[in-house]
Amino acid sequence: MNKLDLLKLARQNLWRRKLRTILTVLGVLIGTTSIVVMLSLGIGLRESQRKSMESWGSLTMIRVQQGMAFDNEGNPLGEAKRLNDEAVAEIKAIEGVIAVSPAYDVGGEARLGRKRGGLQLIGIDPEVMDQLEFKAEQGRLLKKGDRNVIVVGSQVIYQFHDESERRKMERGMMMYEDPRSRQQKDPAEMLDQRLSMIMQNGPEKKKNYNFMVVGILEGERNEHSYQAYAPIDDIKKMRDFTRGGSTQRGIGGSGREAVLLARSGKTVAAKKGSSSRDTANDYSFILVRTGKVEQTREVSKTIKDKGYNCWSMADSLEGIEKTSRTVQAVLGGIGAITLLVAALGITNTMIMSIYERTKEIGIMKVIGATFTDIHTLFLAEAGMIGFIGGLFGLGLSYGVSKIINHLFQNYLNRGMPAEEMMSISLIPSWLALFALLFSVVIGLVAGLYPAHRAVRLSPIRAIRNE
Amino acid sequence: MSALIEIKGLTKKYRLGQEIIIALDNVDLTIEEGEFLCILGTSGSGKSTLLHIMAGLERATKGEVLLRGVSLTKMKEKKMAGFRRKYLGFIFQSYNLIPSMTALENVALPLVFDGVNKKARFKRSCEILVQLGLQHRLKNKPTEMSGGQQQRVSIARALVNNPKIVFADEPTGNLDSKTTEEIMKLLKEKVNKTGVTLIMVTHDLELANYGDRVISMRDGKITKIVNNKEGCRDEKKAE
Ligand SMILES: Nc1ncnc2c1ncn2[C@@H]1O[C@H](COP(=O)(O)OP(=O)(O)OP(=O)(O)O)[C@@H](O)[C@H]1O
Ligand SMILES: [Mg+2]
Repeated sequence: MNKLDLLKLARQNLWRRKLRTILTVLGVLIGTTSIVVMLSLGIGLRESQRKSMESWGSLTMIRVQQGMAFDNEGNPLGEAKRLNDEAVAEIKAIEGVIAVSPAYDVGGEARLGRKRGGLQLIGIDPEVMDQLEFKAEQGRLLKKGDRNVIVVGSQVIYQFHDESERRKMERGMMMYEDPRSRQQKDPAEMLDQRLSMIMQNGPEKKKNYNFMVVGILEGERNEHSYQAYAPIDDIKKMRDFTRGGSTQRGIGGSGREAVLLARSGKTVAAKKGSSSRDTANDYSFILVRTGKVEQTREVSKTIKDKGYNCWSMADSLEGIEKTSRTVQAVLGGIGAITLLVAALGITNTMIMSIYERTKEIGIMKVIGATFTDIHTLFLAEAGMIGFIGGLFGLGLSYGVSKIINHLFQNYLNRGMPAEEMMSISLIPSWLALFALLFSVVIGLVAGLYPAHRAVRLSPIRAIRNE
Repeated sequence: MSALIEIKGLTKKYRLGQEIIIALDNVDLTIEEGEFLCILGTSGSGKSTLLHIMAGLERATKGEVLLRGVSLTKMKEKKMAGFRRKYLGFIFQSYNLIPSMTALENVALPLVFDGVNKKARFKRSCEILVQLGLQHRLKNKPTEMSGGQQQRVSIARALVNNPKIVFADEPTGNLDSKTTEEIMKLLKEKVNKTGVTLIMVTHDLELANYGDRVISMRDGKITKIVNNKEGCRDEKKAE
């Protein structure tokens, strides 16, 4: 029997009982839709999390901070370890670590030409900067032997304001500027300019530290786009100056941003460091770079086991991935149950159909249909129900997915530029294909038993007893 | 004339609970090519059973059916189905058309299973329906036709594959006497014209006399064989 004829015959048979077929298809449709939409939620969730993680920080970076390490339940793990050269050496020795840099951070008021503003300045080992996942958009990164030079994040320029801007700000007009509506500034303006940090030690003693801007960092919205980096030795000098004789950390002056930055910075850790004499030279934090994304979690765990307090994006991602997987499993399970019920619906419909068509099946056998013909015919009918349900279910899934994304758009993508918009529900083509295939397979499996029954029907019994 | 079907010691027993029913009891019969054979008998005498076993629709308990020397009793289902598609045609008392299909589709169905392409099978089906005077009923469903018309459609379906043998189980059982006569004449004409072998079951002696040979059955046994053909020839000679 010709394949096309078979499909036509199957379609014709299904269409004879329109209502029943449509109701059965509806079951598959609902099942497919729920499975696809639920999986799409999981996929979209994970994808958007991965995206936002990537934009906020590298997955191969670990930041070792002062203070104690805590286990998952929040219990402290041993004594807080000091961040000194010994610590740097210890971390460097861990397998999978390719670069380590100690870091100091200072915050304060800075001048850029006639503009003034607050700045958080981080001192790192200039030699390894290029290995720490920094990339220069313009100019260059720090390199070995650099003195008094500085590399700034691309958004740093927005922290500097001239007189008129400052007056406006004082009147509160520019306080909560929307990044999209603010006046565009070109970070390249800062290149090759002199930037001076004003450090303070006590009410009278002030000192200027001058830097040359040699590079602008890549990325508009990551952890270092509002920070500036300089060689660690320069920063240490500045830090030592602010600490000399005073227990109060000198966070320079009048710029409002400086205060905010100081608050968000490592003030707690810094205070702790300065309270005890022999820890005065301890680093603010240590930056660690691993060779591969997969190694980061392991390295991070090793560092924690050694008693350090560290944080990495990869750690957070792990937790999120876990919840996302659970959510997907639960949602997918609900969909699977719905589809199972739909499959039973198909089987039921096909068995009913056999009862109705007993005579007809007998006639077909008498006039020369083989067992295979009958078997394939019934499988084709069941598979077709699955396929149609899957197809319309997929269509409905796209619609539902659109609606969900639309509903969550404001919540999820507030203030995001169009190209970085995220979808909470995502249907990749493989999922669409899988859904279609799956619904056909469900139909076929559901049709196996009825097809078998149809084959076993005796043609004699069908045509006798008329 | 050569033997087309040879039946040897054919026995069919049915078991109904404790009771064993002997539907066919050691039947021997030879059917020749091109003959119009009538099987006559009362209800329950085993006529239909004999027909079904000859057509390979049912398995015998004992004995053998040879079709041109090939044993049907041992044939595999798949081969048997192919056999029916190519060489056999069936006509039933209650027409047994597929209710959802038009006359044309019903007639073309055996060709569908035989893998004949659409154009060829519709051409052939139209041809035969027109021959049977149904040119105005091609698109009608069975429920939209009279009994006589339905039976003609079913005859068309039986003949569409140019079969060697046509089995007819009380083909006029549901029809009035006038239509019965029409159908019988039609069948007789087909046998004469195309040389097809027709094996017809009936319990009506009058209808049985249309046949070249009449076999009478009772309780699963052949009780009498009457050869009309000789008579025919005699008549012709007498003219
Ligand atoms: N599937 C079956 N199970 C049990 N007994 C059966 C079965 N099929 C037929 N019989 C019995 O076999 C015998 C022969 O039946 P068959 O149908 O061949 O008779 P028939 O001569 O065609 O009768 P009718 O003229 O009523 O059609 C009957 O006694 C019938 O009851
Ligand atoms: Mg009968």
